[in-house]
Formats: sequence, structure tokens, C-alpha cells
Amino acid sequence: MRRARRLRSTALALVVPVAAMLPLLGGCGIPETDVIEAGGPASVQAFFNRDSDMLLFFRAPDGGMSPVIRTPDRDPGATAGPIPTEKIIQALLDGPRDEDRAAGLTTALPAPGTGPTIEVDPSPGRVTTRLPLSVKNLNAAALRQLTCTIAYSEDPDGQAVVQLTGHDGASRSGTCGLAL
Amino acid sequence: MSTGDTGSTGSPASPVPRRSPRIRAFGLRTRLLLAFLLVAAVSAGTTAALTYREARTAVLQTAQDTAVSSFREQVQQRGFGLPVREDGGGLEEVLRDIARKGKPHPWVVFAEYGSVRASSGENPVSTVITPELRRAARADPHGSFERVVKDGVPYLTIAMPTVFKTGPDNLLPSGLVLYAVMPMTDEQVNVDALLMAARDGALPGLAVALIPGLIAARSVLRPVRELRQAAGSMGSGRLDTRIPVRGSDELADLAHTFNESAAQLERSVRELREAEARARRFASDVSHELRTPLAGMLAVTEVLDEDADGLDADTARAVRLVSAETGKLAVLVEDLMEISRFDAGAAELNTDEVDVGEAIRKSLDNRHWTDDRVRTDLPTGIRARLDPRRFDLVIANLVGNALRHGSAPVAICLRTETRSADTDVLITEVTDSGPGIRPDSLPHIFDRFYKADAARTRSAGSGLGLAITLENVKLHGGTIHAGNLPEGGAVFTVEIPLRVEGAGG
Repeated sequence: MRRARRLRSTALALVVPVAAMLPLLGGCGIPETDVIEAGGPASVQAFFNRDSDMLLFFRAPDGGMSPVIRTPDRDPGATAGPIPTEKIIQALLDGPRDEDRAAGLTTALPAPGTGPTIEVDPSPGRVTTRLPLSVKNLNAAALRQLTCTIAYSEDPDGQAVVQLTGHDGASRSGTCGLAL
Repeated sequence: MSTGDTGSTGSPASPVPRRSPRIRAFGLRTRLLLAFLLVAAVSAGTTAALTYREARTAVLQTAQDTAVSSFREQVQQRGFGLPVREDGGGLEEVLRDIARKGKPHPWVVFAEYGSVRASSGENPVSTVITPELRRAARADPHGSFERVVKDGVPYLTIAMPTVFKTGPDNLLPSGLVLYAVMPMTDEQVNVDALLMAARDGALPGLAVALIPGLIAARSVLRPVRELRQAAGSMGSGRLDTRIPVRGSDELADLAHTFNESAAQLERSVRELREAEARARRFASDVSHELRTPLAGMLAVTEVLDEDADGLDADTARAVRLVSAETGKLAVLVEDLMEISRFDAGAAELNTDEVDVGEAIRKSLDNRHWTDDRVRTDLPTGIRARLDPRRFDLVIANLVGNALRHGSAPVAICLRTETRSADTDVLITEVTDSGPGIRPDSLPHIFDRFYKADAARTRSAGSGLGLAITLENVKLHGGTIHAGNLPEGGAVFTVEIPLRVEGAGG
């Protein structure tokens, strides 16, 4: 009985320091880690010039918005300055080109129907547009494509509230919300 | 003097076996050393482990920070057209360029944009980058890294989402995410070197800890050893043993207590011895004092005995009774004085070389035991150095006892035997033909005034005969043994070593 207790206390005296040291010894070599955030993103040069380029938003394979810079051929004699928003919307509605498709980009917008022309009515912080398509049937990705393309064509920070009105009379409004 | 179960006496006490191997499995020294080693191991191990962890963290942190910041820097110097083209856009060229400039080691750089996958290496898609890192890079545009161990090789994987300017102060995620994968083999080598250094530092520490452990064990063990030796020497009778008291620790207290106990023990033993000596002196004095009046009384009773025939019958009986009892008293006083001499250590052995068989025959002759009550088997030519007077007493006492308490015939047998250790012993056996000694009497048969038969309180003997016999045999360095024959009859066996001079006494 006493002997057993003594043995137990001896064992305890041995085990406790060893157990205390185990977490310290744990993991020789280089252990794995979780994902650790380390600073901001890398800011790259995308050669975007507001005066000559348009910024279109297509759908990436993972569902996100991918901006595409497209430099249209200028009509000779056209006035310098930003490309009109109507023209940019028309380019978006025309859908991704071959190089965009090659990168896996798609559009959620339906092919443009014939109908009323595109009208853009900008005011500070708000853009109202009339579109030659049915807004009611557009899904979230399509709405976002339109909203972001219009917002960034009107404003370099893309913060404007965009109201979309279709030929079906339905109306949606929202902001792009992609900026950092 | 206590006697054994079989009545054997005088055999030397066997020494208690001493357990004193120098190094015991779990002795004090081992335990102290183990305790020191344990403490040293815990402290050295903890220190080494903490140092190792900190140093490893620093090494890895430096490598990671360098890699992440230089990757961001490299990426920021590049331009990418949107959409990113997989073919002909020179994307792989750009990735290879970034990879070459990787710090602290070259990276493998991967690019992911939409469905475009490209890399600076052979495979366009990395097998090391985890889905978690991809998800984190897609979910919010922050640089992030993850350490991954694949097939035992640690890799640093960095995800760097890219953004571009839409205005002077406006940034927009481009959808292009660049990944860098850097094998951390150099860091692993460094970390392994750290581990080696920690181990090589801790192990000599343990070895060094042995030295104070040994010194501490010595400082504890030396007083313990002294204590053990002192206790041993006290046990062997040297009661004046004392331990030097050093310092003022617990062991010094123990030594002090030991010394005090030893002093008290010595005092008690001295008092006991003095009391015993007083008692012996008293018995000796009493017998001495009794001898003189007894001598007078013996002379008177002899005269009375001679004249008893002339007295009337009653007076004559009384006179003869007084005479007989006075004779017994004289024998008792003589025996008491003999025993007192033994007790006082004053008994001396006056040895002479004798023919033992002849000596026994003479003893029997002197007491007229020559008829067929006593049968002898006495080979001639056995010579030994004995005290003839004492040996005569022994034989006479044993034979007398056998005749008195046992019954005739009594056999005396003499022989020699060679015992181990090359010692010859002289064996004298006295056997009677009586009923033997009761087993419960055997252990006490040599006690003083012990009467084997309680009813026969008044025997012819003084009650000291066997005690004196025992003392005489012991004085010769021998042993005496009482027992019973299987067919009945008591046997007294006297063994005296041959060629021993002046033993005992």
C-alpha cells in the first residue's frame, strides 16, 4: 500500500516535468501553418486609359466579376474624351470577344433585342439608364455586369448608384461595390 | 546464557549478513544523481526548446516576410493586359522573370485568371497550393501565405491578388491572382542546425550536471557511511563509538542524536554491568562467608556421626539428617563458588596433554563406577590438551547425572571426527538407558537450579552440575549437546576441538 503510493508519487515526479516539456518539444523541423494574411494586394499596371479605353465586366468561371479593358477603334473625327456610356453598354451587350472567351469569361446578359435605343441620364452620384432588354428577367450576375460597367464608365471610382430600366418597364438600382 | 531448542549451547553466534554493495540499484547515490539529472534535463531541455522555438520562428519569419514583400514588389513592377491572354501574351515569360528574381530563393510562380492557368515551371497548376489559400485570395484582395509540408518538404506558398488603377486613387481587383511557391529547404537546413545546436548544448549540460550531483551525493553519503560504521562498531560492543559532528544540517543533527543515544546506552550498559557484577560479587561473597562456618559444622557433624551409634534412635536419626544436609550444603556452596568463578571470568584452564581414554577411565575409577552399570568404549591413544581436573568434573557430572536421573547401564563412547575447515573434534558421548529427557525440558537442561522433574525437588545434586559442566566445556572452546535416543535414553554429547590451547576463559 505504502510502497504503491511511493511508486505512484515517484512516477508523478517523473511524468509531470516530462509532460510539461512535451508541448515545448512539439514539432521539430518546419511545421505547417494556416492561411495567414500578409499585407495588401499587388497593384499592377493594366494600361487603362479612361479617354481611350472602355471597362467591361464579364463573368469569371468562379462566378466573380472580371473587368476587361477594350480599346475600340476610334471613328476618325470623333471628339476626344471619354467614350460615351451608351457605346460601352452596347459593347457589353454584344458580349465577350474571342480573347475574353479564351480566358473563360462569359456574360450573363441575353443577346440584345431590337428595341428602344440606350439612354443614359447621369446626375451626380446617380445614373439612370434605359436599356433595350427586359430587366425583370435578369439574374444577379447580369445586373452586376450592367451596374459595374455603367458605374465605372461614368465615374473612375465606380461608386455611383445605377438605375436600370428595361423596355418591359421594370426597374432595378444598385451599386457596383467592387472597389477597394 | 540462553540455550537452543535442542539444548545445544556454546556454538558461536552466526554473524548477521551485511548488505553493503558499494553501488545499489536505487541507493541514495543513484536517487540523488537521478534527481540532479532530472532537474538538469528539465531545465536544459526547456531552455533549449524555448530557444529553438524562438530561433526557428525568427528564421521562418524572416524568410516569409522577405518572400512576401519581394513577391509583391516584383508583381507590382509588371503590367498585364485585361483580359489576360494565355497564348502569345508573353504571360509565361513574365512569370519566369518574376520567378528568377525570387527572394530569398527562386520561386515557382503561377498565374490564375478566369480559366487561364500559367506558370514559370513545367506544370501550369501547382499541386502544393491549397484550396484554402485560393479561396482566401479570391474572397478578399489581400496578400496571404501558407506554409505547407508536402512529401516531407516544407513549402512557402504565397497568394498575391492583383488590382489596377481605374483612376488616380481608385483600385479595382483585376481578377488575376499570382501565386509563388518557394521550397524552404535552406530554412529547413538552418532549423535542423538550430535543433542540433540546442541538442549539443543540452547534452553537455546534462553531463556537467553529473558533477554537482556526485558531489552532493558524496556530501550526503559520507556522513551516512560514518553513521553506518559507527552503528556497526557499537553493535559489535564498542559503546564508546562517537561520530564527528560537522556543520549544522539534518545529518549533523542525526550524528548529534546518535552520539547522545550512544552515550546513554553506554551509561545504561555500564550501570547494568555494575549491577550484575554486584550481584555476582554478592553470591560469591555469600558462598565464601558460608564456607568457614560450614567447615566447622562439617567437622562437628563428622564427630556427631561417629557417636550416633551411642545415641538413642530418634536423636541418632536427627544427627544423621543434619550431617547429610550439611554435606549437601557444603557441595552446594562449593558449586556456587565454582559458578561464581566462571561468572567473574576467573576460571582458568590448566591444560595438559593427556590420553583422553585413560583420563575417563581414571574418573570412573575414582568414583568406583567400575561395575557393569557403566559400559565404556574408550579407544586408547587419543591425546588432547585438556584441563584434567575440569574434564574429570565434566565426565563425573554427566555419568553421575545419567546414573541418578536415567538408569543403568550408562555408556561412554569416545571418538574423534574431522570437521570442515580442517579441525578435528573430540567427541564424548554419555548415554543412559532411562526414559530420556522430556522435550519441554531440553531447552532448559543447562539452566542453573533447573529441575527436570518438578516433583523431585530434593535430589542429591546441587542443581548446578550441568551449568558447571557447560561452563567447563565452553572453557575448552567446545560445545555440549543434550538429546534423546530414538529408542529412549538421554544422550549428552561433548565436542571439544583438538589442539586448541587456552581457548575461552
